Amino acid sequence: MKLERSKEWWMGRARREGDAVIGAGLLAFDPVPDERQTTTAQVPAVEETRIAFGKFVNLMRRRRGFSMERLAEVADLDASELLVIEDDVHYVPEPRTVFKLAQTFEVSQRRLMQLAGLAAANDAGFRQEAVRFAARSEAVQKLTPEENSALEAFVAVLSEQDPKRVK
Amino acid sequence: MTGKRTMTLNLTDAEMRVLDELSARKDITKTAVLRQALRLYQTIDARIEKGEKLLFENDTTKEKAELMLL
Amino acid sequence: MTVDISIIYLLDVATGDSVEAELRDAIEQAQLDDWHTKWQPALLAVLQELARKGVPMSQWPQSWHWNWAQKTARVQGLLAFRGFSVAALGETQGLAQVDLTKTCRESNQRGKPFVYLEYLEVAPWNRPKLGAAPRLRGVGSALITAAIALSEDEGFKGRLGLHSLPQADDFYRKIGMTDLGQDVAYQNLRYFEMTSEQARAFFEKEGER
Repeated sequence: MKLERSKEWWMGRARREGDAVIGAGLLAFDPVPDERQTTTAQVPAVEETRIAFGKFVNLMRRRRGFSMERLAEVADLDASELLVIEDDVHYVPEPRTVFKLAQTFEVSQRRLMQLAGLAAANDAGFRQEAVRFAARSEAVQKLTPEENSALEAFVAVLSEQDPKRVK
Repeated sequence: MTGKRTMTLNLTDAEMRVLDELSARKDITKTAVLRQALRLYQTIDARIEKGEKLLFENDTTKEKAELMLL
Repeated sequence: MTVDISIIYLLDVATGDSVEAELRDAIEQAQLDDWHTKWQPALLAVLQELARKGVPMSQWPQSWHWNWAQKTARVQGLLAFRGFSVAALGETQGLAQVDLTKTCRESNQRGKPFVYLEYLEVAPWNRPKLGAAPRLRGVGSALITAAIALSEDEGFKGRLGLHSLPQADDFYRKIGMTDLGQDVAYQNLRYFEMTSEQARAFFEKEGER
């Protein structure tokens, strides 16, 4: 399919754009599976743990001395998504991203999914631990000894199995 | 994009009528109608092969009915 | 598969000069490589700067997480989808993917097939951000022009449709598209359509000089 228009026509069109930021299309990741839509309905409880998720990713990354680009490289992820995971509590990460992060940080898949708000956690204890962790960790450049021990304790929690479901 | 090739179609009267009707309603040529049909068929088939289901949803009642396609 | 290449012109914002560019009617590996190795790092730099300056996310580039490799892989081999790309100065400047199977909603053309712009994105360095001037102007318009031309080619008479990224709402109104309001089924993005009359006007207008 070839287009035939004069140079003046193209330049006129270009000038007409002005400062406009042109784009079109769905903002969500594609395809959007049904499960994600039901998960976001549980917003209040989920956001608490998501704060912990962002902080966890941030601390684990900094503990290794990784920049976001380096972590993205190591975990085979997009650096821009990591930025938003660490910075925005409203952001719901992609399942694959959480999977890769759990692998990289060597913690339980299931637990990290729960933390990220992609799966429901049955035990209130886990949520409490997450909230406690989020409160204790600060977003400063260096990892303080206190942050380090908070992180260690939380990694231990993330390595626990889910308690058995009660019928 | 690429060159086009010609194919002769043998259609029944009823099929030709439907083709005419769709062409008029959609404001596109009969050839364009058939090309749309081909695009839709290929896309639907590809998704069903992947394990998805094709559904019709009633706008008012939100009832869903499955369209079985081979 | 043969790719058609049309020579087009873009505006170099810094000098005001014209820049010769290519409009290609496909998205191939070279374009995806550019997206991955050039757009992504540039985008990350922009996002980091915005985060550092405390700019609210609502003002961030709205398509930052799009994965073009995924988008094109999903429609590989399907007749219903087509890709377009703009290349200039040895780099991919913009990408678009269209769907040919949808039908119009606007009352005057309801049910008629059109070219639906599924995704349209220009390279990060072509978007104005925090006072920095964009490099090239006209990439978005070129991709829209390609979609309208495709619509003519396919016998859809220039009919076009898209869901606008909020920062682009005014631009689509400016080029004469009909604003059909926010679409609750599509994240409340504004839905625009172009009729064949509007498409004809778009092609005939010389724009600003």
